[in-house]
Amino acid sequence: MIAKTKLGPVDIIAKIFKWFFLILFLLFMILPLIWILISSFKTNQEFNLKSPFSLPEVWQFSNYANALSVSNLPRMFLHSIIVAIVTTALNLVVASMSAFALSREKFRGNKLILTFLLSGVLIPIIALMVPIMKINNFLHLYDTLGALILTYTAINLPTSIFLVHGFMSTIPKELEESATIDGCSFLQRFTRIIFPLTKPGLMTAGTLVFIYCWNEFTYAMILTISEKARTIQLGIKYFQTEFSIDYTGMLAAIVITMIPTIVVYTFMHDKIISGMTAGAVKG
Amino acid sequence: MTRNLAEKKFNRNWKGILLFLLPAMVLYGLFFIYPIITVIFTSLTDWANFRKMNFVGFKNYVNLFKNSTFLTAIRNNFIWALVLAFVQVPIALSMALVLARKPRGWKLFRTVYFLPTVISGSALAMMWKAIYNPTNGVLNAILGIFGANNGVNWLGDLNTALVAVIVQQVFYFGYFMVIIFASRLGIDDTMYEAAMIDGANIWQQEIHVTLPMLKPVLITAITLAMAYGFRHFESTYLLTGGGPNHVTETMGTFLYTKLSSAKWAEGNSIGTTIILLGGIMISVIRSVLSREK
Amino acid sequence: MKRIAIAFLMLALVLSFTFAQSATESSAGKEIELKFVTWWTGADTKGPYVEQIVNQFNAEHAGKIHVTLEGTNDADGIFTQIMTQLGAGNPPDIFSVKPQDEFYGYYDSNLLMDFAEDLKGDWGKQFAEGIVANTTRNGQTKSLPYEMAYVPIWYNMEILNAVGITEVPKTMDEFWAMCEKTKAAGYYPTAQMTGGTNAWFSMLWYTSICGALGGAGAFDNIKNDWATNPLYVEAAEILCKMVREYTTEDVIGATAAVANSHFKGGETAAYLNGPWWIANLDDARQATTEMAFFPQINYKDVLIGSVQSNLAAANQKDPAKRAAVIEFLTYFTTAENAQLVSNAGSVLAVKYEPLENSSKLAKDLQARINEASGFIPYWENCIGTSDVVAEFGQALGAMIQGAITPAQFVAQIASVM
Repeated sequence: MIAKTKLGPVDIIAKIFKWFFLILFLLFMILPLIWILISSFKTNQEFNLKSPFSLPEVWQFSNYANALSVSNLPRMFLHSIIVAIVTTALNLVVASMSAFALSREKFRGNKLILTFLLSGVLIPIIALMVPIMKINNFLHLYDTLGALILTYTAINLPTSIFLVHGFMSTIPKELEESATIDGCSFLQRFTRIIFPLTKPGLMTAGTLVFIYCWNEFTYAMILTISEKARTIQLGIKYFQTEFSIDYTGMLAAIVITMIPTIVVYTFMHDKIISGMTAGAVKG
Repeated sequence: MTRNLAEKKFNRNWKGILLFLLPAMVLYGLFFIYPIITVIFTSLTDWANFRKMNFVGFKNYVNLFKNSTFLTAIRNNFIWALVLAFVQVPIALSMALVLARKPRGWKLFRTVYFLPTVISGSALAMMWKAIYNPTNGVLNAILGIFGANNGVNWLGDLNTALVAVIVQQVFYFGYFMVIIFASRLGIDDTMYEAAMIDGANIWQQEIHVTLPMLKPVLITAITLAMAYGFRHFESTYLLTGGGPNHVTETMGTFLYTKLSSAKWAEGNSIGTTIILLGGIMISVIRSVLSREK
Repeated sequence: MKRIAIAFLMLALVLSFTFAQSATESSAGKEIELKFVTWWTGADTKGPYVEQIVNQFNAEHAGKIHVTLEGTNDADGIFTQIMTQLGAGNPPDIFSVKPQDEFYGYYDSNLLMDFAEDLKGDWGKQFAEGIVANTTRNGQTKSLPYEMAYVPIWYNMEILNAVGITEVPKTMDEFWAMCEKTKAAGYYPTAQMTGGTNAWFSMLWYTSICGALGGAGAFDNIKNDWATNPLYVEAAEILCKMVREYTTEDVIGATAAVANSHFKGGETAAYLNGPWWIANLDDARQATTEMAFFPQINYKDVLIGSVQSNLAAANQKDPAKRAAVIEFLTYFTTAENAQLVSNAGSVLAVKYEPLENSSKLAKDLQARINEASGFIPYWENCIGTSDVVAEFGQALGAMIQGAITPAQFVAQIASVM
């Protein structure tokens, strides 16, 4: 290791600043979550009227039992998993196919098509509520998981293509040229060479799509109505009736929906982040 | 490898290219093109509920730009875009650089900072709505410990609402931090060693080695941040519904209000404006940034 | 890699089609399938009773008609969905809906079933006198009134007694005195809120004030004279004083839950809400609550009486299906079934015998309904579409912070109309 320069007074102040912010932000991220956890064990009267720092008088585990049984969270959990996995797979396949054609092949209109596809990032998807519902009705997908899968796949295409295309552009052309000389076809170039090499970029894009699907609420609310297609974020709305909100029940449900993501994230974060690291996004 | 002109215009692999672009084009056609065309087209009519549509030209747009609530919303969207791009991203950059030096516990910090990203935006918003509550919210309680609790209704007071809503998002910088961090780790250590030999301290290293190499990822981050700023809807809707008295209104929440009243044409004109405005601003910023820094 | 991709694609397609199939299967059989989309399910107080009615109906009509109940108790979410479906031209077979202007706008389309003719027979007699006129526009009755809202003022007599008041305020002077005394004693004089989609409690207070100023017909011409009638500004001034000085600190942006908790917890002196909320109070609190009319100004004993929710159905071309829908709706609105649902505390537009064992407050409320000199509908049901309704809360927040005057408050709302 190179010898470190001696620490002068400016460096010490800088160090204090650095640690101050590191810890401040850490608390900022964590404390609200802890507060939610504690509050989810209170009764609604306690939550609404007593100090937020107070601990519950009696820890209401019933809030959790209630949340699980009343809203059928396990089934919605399953639905969310299915939607998230299938959407991610579908989205990545479509995105990498498009990115491949656009980044490795020269043809007229290449740049135009790319700009067109990427501009989707700007669309406020909430504006397209009614037409998208019409499309899903037209395809007879209303109130099915398929509606969510197809819609989410489409919504995430701009971002995925953006990321995957950026990544693919950095793969040297020489690799393919030698493969073509060896007699590789267009399809084989994709499946044997480029797709495997793009894995890190796909991990980045895939993580984002998965998180999106898991957390998406608005379109889940609009496109589904019955239990057979309900996903987990809608479960949180169970605690809101026409005339009242069961806050502590809702918090328990929120905690329950957060746990899987947090658990998966804690175990996978190394992989996810090293995937994003290796696939250093080059814009 | 030279290519003759004829080949450049006609790519032999055109069948493969077409096939590979087809799925994306179909999905775009269904979920973007058709909706956007209907949105733009109907914004030129007076369509509401299921009444008959009459062509009215740009009347909706003219009314929009005379509407004080909409003008406030545009102002707010600009504020969002600029704050996210030039406050949140720099914070993310700074923390990424700090953590890249691998201080003690850096892995823990990185994990915790990214954590909110995997939690749904609506859950976070509900959380903060409770935190900002004037009587039993955590924020005022903490201020009370320092004797500074004035019972301020952060989300209800005309003067603090916008700041409160923006602050709730700005400090969740984990997503951008991780992207920048990833790029940063891709920079060879040898470059830093060389710089250190030249006598550069940490501050100078960051400016002369890191920043130039991070330029592409920073432009990406700024673009995404601005796009999000122009589209912004969810957390404002959940925290204040655009109030009090529209001070936190964004084009997104205003659009939602119009669509919820079945005023399709008015809502669609807002949607079209978001797309156009956002597109213009982002192109401008991107071309400016690509030259400097 | 490619194999996996293809496998996933197949999986996706298979899944979508399986789910799609189960949705379309139903219309193929001889039994007529009807979907009833509503938020009166799950944790909603009416939920269990509605489910019971549907099950009974299905049992009695097995093999001929089958009704499936769908929805969650998230009223806002379900209503948004129904409106979006209407916008896409595809309403559910049968659904509950809020009597908002944008819904009535669909009367002009041919998406909704018109009940006008059907009601001329015996079915019409099942409803209370003249009540169906509330949901009739231009001779078309494309929805039925179902749940009614009658909203008196609920006074916590324990608090009033504690500050030396033994009777409910009958004039504005007595009302302000009550507010002053309860505030001085550390209570919240009134329950208010500017948040939610419609600033519910404050909107109800405003309606009460207008009723006291202009009688039951105060809103009859509101769409035309909102911007010009000085009565509305006068009412705004009174509301401003009430909200600015006599309520909780977190009123701006507050939603119903907090105000409800304060009243339940015995901290609020004057509250108001519809019959459905009675069931939320325990017996102890009910015993100390009194239902009263809003104090007299120019008029006395005017009670808020408004349609809270409607029933509607998609227009059906198939005569058999249409008959099935009418059959179900007729069944749903019988006196017996209405009485069943009233167990949830709701008051319904259908004619039925009030329950024997209803609570003290329910009986109190019924007494007020009988004594009322007239009924004024909610402001939000009269003024226009939901963006105008939302403006009330927005402008109210500004008015009590002194940013705009009551006259400007009215003007601001007018500008959205």
